[in-house]
Amino acid sequence: MAQLELDAVRKVFTDDDGSDIVAVDDVTVDIEDGEFLVLVGPSGCGKSTTLRMVAGLETASGGDIRLGGRSIVGQKPQDRDIAMVFQSYALYPHMTSRENMSFGLEESTDMTDEEIDERVQNAAELLDIPELLDRKPAELSGGQQQRVALGRAIVRDPEVFLMDEPLSNLDAKLRSQMRTELQRIQEDLDTTTVYVTHDQTEAMTMGDRIAVLDGGELQQAGTPLECYHRPANRFVAGFIGEPSMNFFDATVRGDRLVADRFEYGLREAAVNDVAGAEGVTLGIRPEDVEVTPGTEPADDNEFATVVDVVEPMGNENAVYLGFGADPTDPFVATVGGMRRVEAGQRVIARFPPDAIHLFDATTGEALHSRSLEDADPAEPRI
Amino acid sequence: MREFLSTARSRLRRAAGRDAGSDGDAERADGDGDSALATDGGTAEAGADVAPAGGTDGLLDRLDDRFGEDFTESAPFWLPPFLLVGLFVYGAIAWNFVISLTEYKGFVGPDYSDLDLDMYVRAVGDSAVIDATVNTFVLVVAFTIVALVIGMLLAILVDQKIRFENTFRTIYLLPMSLSFVVTAQFWLWMYNFNNGVVNIALGAFGIGPVDWIGNPQIVLWAVVFALVWQFSGYTMVVYLAGLRAIPTEHYEAAKVDGASTAKMYWRVIVPQLKGSTISAAIVLMVFALKAFDFLYSLVSGYRPPNGADILATKMVREAYSTNNWAYASAIAIVLFLMALSIIGPYLYYEYDKGNL
Amino acid sequence: MSDATVDDADATGRTERLGDRLRAELEALDAARVGVYAALFALTAFYLTPIESGLVSAFKTNPAGISSTLPFAPPPLRFFTLEKWRTAITALGRGMVNSALYAVPATIVSALLGSFAAYGLTQADWRARYKAPVLAMLVAGIFIPYQAVLVPLSQFWGAIPLRQLLTPLWVLGVPSAYTGIVELTITHVAYGIPICMVLFRSYYRNLSEEMVEAARLDGATFRRVYRRIVFPVSTPMFAVVLIYQFTQIWNDLLFALILVSTESSPAAPVVLILAGLGESMEGQDFALRMAGAFVAALPTLIVYIMFGEEFADGVAT
Repeated sequence: MAQLELDAVRKVFTDDDGSDIVAVDDVTVDIEDGEFLVLVGPSGCGKSTTLRMVAGLETASGGDIRLGGRSIVGQKPQDRDIAMVFQSYALYPHMTSRENMSFGLEESTDMTDEEIDERVQNAAELLDIPELLDRKPAELSGGQQQRVALGRAIVRDPEVFLMDEPLSNLDAKLRSQMRTELQRIQEDLDTTTVYVTHDQTEAMTMGDRIAVLDGGELQQAGTPLECYHRPANRFVAGFIGEPSMNFFDATVRGDRLVADRFEYGLREAAVNDVAGAEGVTLGIRPEDVEVTPGTEPADDNEFATVVDVVEPMGNENAVYLGFGADPTDPFVATVGGMRRVEAGQRVIARFPPDAIHLFDATTGEALHSRSLEDADPAEPRI
Repeated sequence: MREFLSTARSRLRRAAGRDAGSDGDAERADGDGDSALATDGGTAEAGADVAPAGGTDGLLDRLDDRFGEDFTESAPFWLPPFLLVGLFVYGAIAWNFVISLTEYKGFVGPDYSDLDLDMYVRAVGDSAVIDATVNTFVLVVAFTIVALVIGMLLAILVDQKIRFENTFRTIYLLPMSLSFVVTAQFWLWMYNFNNGVVNIALGAFGIGPVDWIGNPQIVLWAVVFALVWQFSGYTMVVYLAGLRAIPTEHYEAAKVDGASTAKMYWRVIVPQLKGSTISAAIVLMVFALKAFDFLYSLVSGYRPPNGADILATKMVREAYSTNNWAYASAIAIVLFLMALSIIGPYLYYEYDKGNL
Repeated sequence: MSDATVDDADATGRTERLGDRLRAELEALDAARVGVYAALFALTAFYLTPIESGLVSAFKTNPAGISSTLPFAPPPLRFFTLEKWRTAITALGRGMVNSALYAVPATIVSALLGSFAAYGLTQADWRARYKAPVLAMLVAGIFIPYQAVLVPLSQFWGAIPLRQLLTPLWVLGVPSAYTGIVELTITHVAYGIPICMVLFRSYYRNLSEEMVEAARLDGATFRRVYRRIVFPVSTPMFAVVLIYQFTQIWNDLLFALILVSTESSPAAPVVLILAGLGESMEGQDFALRMAGAFVAALPTLIVYIMFGEEFADGVAT
């Protein structure tokens, strides 16, 4: 069936002055049949280029792309049996929705008009747009155009759907609605899907697995929760999760971490994990920081801090805390929305030892991840 | 949705395969046609591109590898027009150059065995050619500058959020839609010594009458004036597009900074019209070089009024009135080089901006 | 002034915002508006006078009417005549048909080929290094003075046995002078391609890249993408190019002069006949010339008045 394999795929662009720019560097990832993989990363990380290489719109400079075990690298886009949904929808302005959706079938198959019509009708019903079929794109709202664009991909019934930030032109409310709907449709059709986005919320909620790219290199491929709880390196840890994980540079002294502003006592498991490393980065997610009123830290996992700024978000508050009485260079903790915390207040911040992450200060590689056994069983907040 | 998968997919593959096959065929057919054309015109650039002739799919692939992936697939679109232009424009210029090296005149065909630069030597020594060159230069420069200035003023006027903007614009551009032959008739009548509007209007101020067409000192300027009348509307349209592309914030910022309207245009707006000026100037110069039609129609003949002979008229006269073909070709090459000295830098400028 | 209300409304708004200090300035502005409109109307007179003067003269008798009235005044009844128009239409009628015979096909073919070339050079993905010279040669083709190709052009058409090739036409009773029309058509197509290509190119470069990619992914070949997406989408640009090209070809004299050469030829285009109209031993018949000028300009004038916007777009690009 349609397993999609990217094997050490590379893309090198040659600049005007003859210098090479590596856009995608040895990306290897396997996408199982029916799987929904999200490629995520900051802009310029090579995710769109990767997708376009799968589509055949860019030629890979190296590596192999296999679809169902067969290499598709040399094939023209139209021969690859893939369908793509574009960020701008790329609907044909002079055609009605029906014609837009039929176009691919007319061009790439010799189905009869009746068969094509039936497929278009089915897809339109699946997307809940039968009444829009005879309108042209200019007469449709953004969300409706989005559905037609999806329909155009669906009627092709391809081996693989490729989606290039398809929701980024929608307003926030419609976006979350379409997010759910896309997932439902993908589950219904059970078609292998590669989805590109820069929005980590989309990545976390939609993907069976996510592949995090940065600087053209694959940082981590795994389920959303894996990437969240067991980030492979500092980049992934910082990129996934909102607000971002807090990082503190520190050195290891026996079973203690010595940072500029504080010292932190490590548990045995962590001590073993950082053995041999000298400089490490301590990471802790804002929701794991426990904030209690008070001024006297009870042990070496607690610190006296002062509240710098509070950003209320309704369900929770993001609290910016500075060490000691010094509000510069604060870190973030999230606390329940009903709790009263005010700027200038003195509080105790606790970094629970089972919630910390440790990364190698030079390579950024993860040395120690939080333990999951004693973690809060509730779904992680994103 | 899934049950029609397998059949559709196999059909799809078949269709794709067939398509690719027929593509290849078509290209080979095209290639054959091209090679025939190329031997015909003998142009160098055609020869390089006809490699698909009699080629195999492997050759097509290799061509694509060398030139880029859509090269052969897109060739049926751009190659025929390119070859047609290559043959008629560049082939003809090359041929023209060769003819200019012969002694071809009269009704016996050119003799290509004896090539020399005699015709150029003769042209350099021919005072009529020198005069025509000077006249061409004056016409091109004066016409271009005046048309640019008038066009810019028109554009600024029309850009003042006026009412009936479309009507005014249409009227100013109207002469541009007319043939040189037609406008020549109008201006011949305008410049008429006894009954022309120009002399009657000037007569009201006690000036004239002036013999606009007959006086060799004046006739070139009269022609420039008529051409400006015909083409300043064009300049206006180009500048108007340029003005509309400037964000309104620039006008507002200049106003807030306390600039007067004149100062604002001179210091903020006009400098931003550099691109429009360059493209308009190029097109105007080319129009001026083509002013042959106008001068021919003024007199209904090959010999323009004294003092208004330009290279374009001189060349056609030498060729079709006195049958000095080789000499005419040499003059044509001089004219071509003048045009090239204008468009060469322009094309480089466009290339530099990444527009080519 | 016709826009007094607009200005007043405008003025109120601004005064409210910026205070009384600006009131004096606004009055000055109104004076400036008056100046703007005065200049606009003066320029209108300047651009229309030659045309108006020609139009009224075309209705006058020659030489009496022409010499005894002001050139821009309408003809008094005793000098009024339609005879010049009748003569002009008789003289130019066949030329109009001849012009249309080459202007229409040459316009359509050059626009199509220009569109093909622009499509193959914008939407196709091949190396810029090789594409640039092809493009440069096509663009430069716009600016070549026709004189530089005239002699070879005469030689070329002289050497091609077009007359023999077209024998079936002459058998059908078409005068053999019409080879000139065929030559003109092909010549105008060749020299029209560059400008058409450039006009289409600016349009195709702004087409959505994703749309074309989507069509390729939908299984359409390069050719089908043109046929089904790019061609239908470029209808507005075709209007612009066809109108511009038609005006240019209809108006051109030089090629007609070289390839058909005499106005007495049955295939003589209208510009060629017009250039010699009203010349006689007794002097120039200006009334006839003016009437002829209007008759010859009629098709382009109609096109211009109907599609002025497209024409303006064409020249502005």
